[in-house]
Amino acid sequence: MEIVFLNALVNGILLGGVLALLAFGLNLIFGVVKVIHMAYGQCVMLGMYVIYTLKVIYGVPLLVASAVSVVIMGVWGTLLHLLVIRPLLGAERLNQLLALAGLIVVFENLAHVIWGADLRGVRVDLPIVSLGNVFLKTSNLLAFGGALVVLGILYGVLHKTYVGLAIRAVAQDRECATLMGINPGRIYLLTLTIGGALTGLIAAFFSPIYSVHPHFGGSFTLMAFIIVVLGGMGNLAGGFIGAFIIGVVTSFAAVITSTEVAEIVALTIFILVVLVRPQGLLGARRAR
Amino acid sequence: MKAVAKIILLGLVIGFPLVGVSPYLLHVATLIFIWAFIATGWSYMGRFGLVSLGHGAFIGIGAYTAGLLFNHFSLSPWAGMIVGGILAGVMALVIGWACFRFGVMGDYFALLTLALGEIVSLVLVAFRDYTGGSLGFTLKRVGSSWFYLQFEDKAYFYYIALSFLLAALFLWRCIDRSRMQKALRAIGEDEIAAATLGVRIVKYKLRVTIMSAFVAAIGGVLYAQYVTYLNPHTLAGVGPSLDIAFKAILGGMYSLWGPTVGTTIIVVLEEYIRVNYGAKYVGISQIAYGVALVLLIIFMPKGIFGTMEEKIRRVLSGRSRSRDPGQKH
Amino acid sequence: MSLMLEVRGIDVFYGEFQALFDLSLEVRTGETVIVVGPNGAGKTTLLRCISGLQPASKGSIRFLDQPIHRLPPHRIVELGLVHVPEGGRVFPNLSVMENLKIGSYVRGARKEFRKKLEEIYELFPRLAERRTQLADTLSGGERQMLAIARSLMSKPKLIMLDEPSSGLAPMIVTLLLEFVARIRSQGYSILMVEQNVRKALSLSDRAYLVESGRIALQGTREEFSRESYIRKAYLGL
Repeated sequence: MEIVFLNALVNGILLGGVLALLAFGLNLIFGVVKVIHMAYGQCVMLGMYVIYTLKVIYGVPLLVASAVSVVIMGVWGTLLHLLVIRPLLGAERLNQLLALAGLIVVFENLAHVIWGADLRGVRVDLPIVSLGNVFLKTSNLLAFGGALVVLGILYGVLHKTYVGLAIRAVAQDRECATLMGINPGRIYLLTLTIGGALTGLIAAFFSPIYSVHPHFGGSFTLMAFIIVVLGGMGNLAGGFIGAFIIGVVTSFAAVITSTEVAEIVALTIFILVVLVRPQGLLGARRAR
Repeated sequence: MKAVAKIILLGLVIGFPLVGVSPYLLHVATLIFIWAFIATGWSYMGRFGLVSLGHGAFIGIGAYTAGLLFNHFSLSPWAGMIVGGILAGVMALVIGWACFRFGVMGDYFALLTLALGEIVSLVLVAFRDYTGGSLGFTLKRVGSSWFYLQFEDKAYFYYIALSFLLAALFLWRCIDRSRMQKALRAIGEDEIAAATLGVRIVKYKLRVTIMSAFVAAIGGVLYAQYVTYLNPHTLAGVGPSLDIAFKAILGGMYSLWGPTVGTTIIVVLEEYIRVNYGAKYVGISQIAYGVALVLLIIFMPKGIFGTMEEKIRRVLSGRSRSRDPGQKH
Repeated sequence: MSLMLEVRGIDVFYGEFQALFDLSLEVRTGETVIVVGPNGAGKTTLLRCISGLQPASKGSIRFLDQPIHRLPPHRIVELGLVHVPEGGRVFPNLSVMENLKIGSYVRGARKEFRKKLEEIYELFPRLAERRTQLADTLSGGERQMLAIARSLMSKPKLIMLDEPSSGLAPMIVTLLLEFVARIRSQGYSILMVEQNVRKALSLSDRAYLVESGRIALQGTREEFSRESYIRKAYLGL
């Protein structure tokens, strides 16, 4: 029985890696623009459809398709900012939330209309690696490794470059940042573009693992929120830790019971966190 | 003048089925009434800043409670409504108390309700031996019966749904005129100040939440009885939860007729596309209304009806809008 | 001396409430000008309007002979006008060094970042000691020092200080004003809002008194300190 748990643990950790990327994107956008991107998981879904279309329909090699997906989703993020988020910057928080929730409906149905309701998978034959009694799919390993590398790069950018510093400054005090000569509008645009590109990247990591369908985004969006709230909204380090916690917990729960129960467990954790410690594990206490 | 117009309208609506209209139109109208009923109930909470993105939880609980009791124990759906309503009310009480006591507001409240709606949907799927899982289940047929709330002739449901909608609108009016409304408005504007004045915040928030849940549950039962089929993805979960919220917001969640107007627009649009382009393209109607919703939130945050109502009111009182040099961004 | 900053007849509204009434003010190159007045008089609003954070509904503002009243704040900073807001406002989760680095964000200042950093560390040894510490772990006085130091990193031509001594212990205030004096002697033009009139006056070339959103009095340092109204109300004499 232990082998099953060990496998669950390891695969949970691998999943956690990619979830950490998802959490990073959400946290970055929330931290800087102060908007909850409700349709983030749906953007990942769209990225996966892009990869599917390029590879399966047009025969483009997977790596190229993935790169294109990153670019397209980056542009998608830019458009999202210009068309939806920027006009709503002065609006009430709830209205922003609702508008982005509206995008969930738009994106899912867009997928439904263009690609239909069936599962669309990218068939990639990758070997299964075994370490002792633990079996790992190469696709999962690559996703994990890739996610860590990207996170490392993003960390470097945020801490070593002027632009990264500007992003962090805007997140902490937008007005003061403008007094440093930082153009907040441009930083917002950049943040949404990076966030979008990340969804393309996550899509690339997911494509060899999951098949996509119009409601694929749903559970990942919720998962991303659970992680982000658990770690503290806007807190990048918290999101990192939260991703692994949720990854492992859901992995275990899925093995012990079923995927539905795993999701219920995750959602219940979420509700408890919101009630008891809404600032998350690492967040600072905010005036509600 | 307004009263006469209202009476004429009411007459038209009531006389509608008697004029020999096609069953399809009756069907669409009934759907509108049922969803508008739920949407109006939703707005009891929504207009006071308690935006629920998880009403599917209450709709689902109501529908499945009544439906299962009906199928297995032949319990009359009218009783089922009460039972389902109470269960939904209890859930609203528990969650509501927890939230309001802990000061969960705004976005966090919305996200929490979203999670709740999804949990109910997942639970319904997980207990597939009882509920039929993702495929749902059908209600047993008993022919036409008031006791069992099933009818061959659609006109019956038309009137029943209409009555419920009118009841929900009446209840809206009652809330609007009550002490509670003033209290909730005060809370909406400055919760801390209201608290220091002795306004029992938690009590009033709970009241509207429970009422809203109750209405949603009843609406769920109505819908299930009407289509005689239950499915966790049409009744609970993220889909219908967002759907209801949007219907109310599109029309304007701060006004009496807003949710009804919003529901009418959306249902008509959906049906129009379904009929003329086939079910596959219903997705397009959803895209259209999603986009419309986003545009609406950007340009008319009070919803279509709400914005119109405000404009009309302003014109009538002869005031011009004062410009304030807003904040730079 | 040429005109560095020229404010002409500005009105500022917060919604329906008018904060500034037809206010005019100037700062010439190399000058230190102070703005004094009671709480709520509009002094902070004045600075916020100049730096672009708050729009003026009427009037004009020119910096180095360029109109800036319609420019967004980040463009104004690029021109060399820097605003140090009240309360030692630093970026709490950035280190001291990172705060200073973001100060040199403006193009043209980045190249000299390292050099300026060393100068600042010499001028403010306390900050050098704490260079890797997060800014919100600093004391009030240190934060204010950091805020002022940061403003120097962008190689500004005019520095606007909003009540640099507010909320600080007297010893720290003395230190702080010494720094302002040193900055002044290095040739920077300064526009400073201060509550502490006596000490501020000693640093200044000219002064303005703002009351209820209007200029009530203006003049050179000597004229100002001679004015009996000032002496009674603000200098306690």
